[in-house]
Amino acid sequence: MIRSTRSIFALRAAPSPIIGRLIGFVSVAALVLVWYLVTLGAPESRIVSPAILPTPVEVGQRLLSLITGGADSEGGTLFLHIAASLRRVISGFALAFFVGVPLGILAGCSGPVRAALAPHALFLRNIPLAALIPLTMVTFGIDEQQKTMFIFIAVAPFLMGDALVAILRVPDKYIETAQTRGASTWQIISKVLIPLAMPAIYSSMRTLFGLAVGYIMLAELVNADLGLGHMLLVGQRRSDLPTIFAALVAIATLAYLVDRGLAFLQGKIFPYRPAED
Amino acid sequence: MTDIQTPPGAAPEKSGVGSWLRRNVLHRRQEAPSPISADTVTVKEAPQDKSASDAAPPRVVEFRNVSKTYDDGYTAIQDITFHVDDLPGKGEFITLLGPSGCGKSTILRLIAGLSPQHPATSGQVLVGGLPVEGPGADRGMVFQDYIAFDNRSVLDNVAFGLECQGMPRAERYERAREVIQQVGLDVARDQYKYPHQLSGGMRQRVAIAGTLILKPKIILMDEPFGALDPATRYRMQDLIVSLWRELEATVFFVTHSVEEAVYLGDRTMIFSPGPGRLLQQLEVPPPDRPAKTMQREPAFLEVVFAIKDMVEKLEPSPSSGRG
Repeated sequence: MIRSTRSIFALRAAPSPIIGRLIGFVSVAALVLVWYLVTLGAPESRIVSPAILPTPVEVGQRLLSLITGGADSEGGTLFLHIAASLRRVISGFALAFFVGVPLGILAGCSGPVRAALAPHALFLRNIPLAALIPLTMVTFGIDEQQKTMFIFIAVAPFLMGDALVAILRVPDKYIETAQTRGASTWQIISKVLIPLAMPAIYSSMRTLFGLAVGYIMLAELVNADLGLGHMLLVGQRRSDLPTIFAALVAIATLAYLVDRGLAFLQGKIFPYRPAED
Repeated sequence: MTDIQTPPGAAPEKSGVGSWLRRNVLHRRQEAPSPISADTVTVKEAPQDKSASDAAPPRVVEFRNVSKTYDDGYTAIQDITFHVDDLPGKGEFITLLGPSGCGKSTILRLIAGLSPQHPATSGQVLVGGLPVEGPGADRGMVFQDYIAFDNRSVLDNVAFGLECQGMPRAERYERAREVIQQVGLDVARDQYKYPHQLSGGMRQRVAIAGTLILKPKIILMDEPFGALDPATRYRMQDLIVSLWRELEATVFFVTHSVEEAVYLGDRTMIFSPGPGRLLQQLEVPPPDRPAKTMQREPAFLEVVFAIKDMVEKLEPSPSSGRG
């Protein structure tokens, strides 16, 4: 085999999946090792003060107690927090999907609609995320509705823009082929443009959903009794560093699992165009 | 093609395609040989447009002084005039030859009614005697980059046109399987495959099948085999010849390859670039032997070289050719 003789250091060469995973694992292990070393020893003699960085063991124990339940008051609640955060993201995201994607497809298909929506989309995309918090609080209060609308407003303009671009990127020759086979305008939209744009729209949804999982923490800093953001806030108020770090690990793991799940679904829904990582 | 006697085989002496041309084509329509004849091989100029008004049956395709200039001032084609008669029981196979930018594709797309080439800036494009209003299923188009819908299986790709007509699934699948067979794909093996699982040649067969299933009167092919390797190309040429004989459709076939144009065509139109003009229309010998065999015969190559010389000679002074 030629491949086996090729160096894994060759320019732009991709390592085999096993080697690749191994390298990734070693890289993470090295980071944890450095973390372990700089927090080694009695609190006073550590390289990094415990007021800044807890030890990996502390964080691991806290994570475990958050999952299984334990001595502290927050024991066993991790999945409740995750469920609360995900529910908010999903409700806001679903709303954004049902509004943003059809609008984007409409704008992609029709020049006048595109021209009419462009200024609004530009405005909405440029609202700073932080400004959305007070904005949505004024209109929607401080309860669940506000958190849903926050995700909706943060995501919908981007989803619309990506759906628009996906429609426009379907090469003309597909439309022309359909036309010379007698397809009507509506048939071209429903049988050609939308199905061919869907994989790109889905990819964009995957990215945006990951971002939305991050955004929701912002909204959860205000008036939430559950949620990963709330967990972070509580940790900060109590100067409970292990909880903050455990929440961060949980958030990263959650984001990873969600992305893998969506990528898996992508392969199932669009077997003709496998997911790109 | 049936009314023509079978030409002699691959005899290397004077009785090859060149002399066949002199004997059969030159006198078939009792017209004087064209003054533009090349040095070695006489290739007859195809009949030019005379008075179009007294033609009884509507012509399959007619261009009357057609020009196309885009908004940015670029002129793709200028004053193109030609016609294709409706031959009962068979269609003509017309190949369009010329360098890039000579407007071959523009002509194809004007017949198809596709923007931005359609509508023409001036002149008339008539199909069946009526001006072209837009694209339709009566004029099938096959592109170079073998367009097959990624999200559809071979079966659903081929049946697309019938699906748009609202034909029930069972019926259109049955028809699609027949055509899939016709274009040389294995129904059992290939019908549920997706385009990304097929080679370029196979995808092009799917695209051709998707057009054939609608039985169009006119088939427009824009360099359909340009991206295929030579062996596949020969096979596809043979396929097209056999399909076209059954189909009775008029075919317009754009190509860069003189060999391909001469092999496939009844008539070859030669264009010059900048702006595209129709230089010459030639009748060429019909493809009655396998592509790979015939395209290696000295007599065939003689015709090819004559046309290559002709194109070279005509190109530098487009004004001396026919406008």
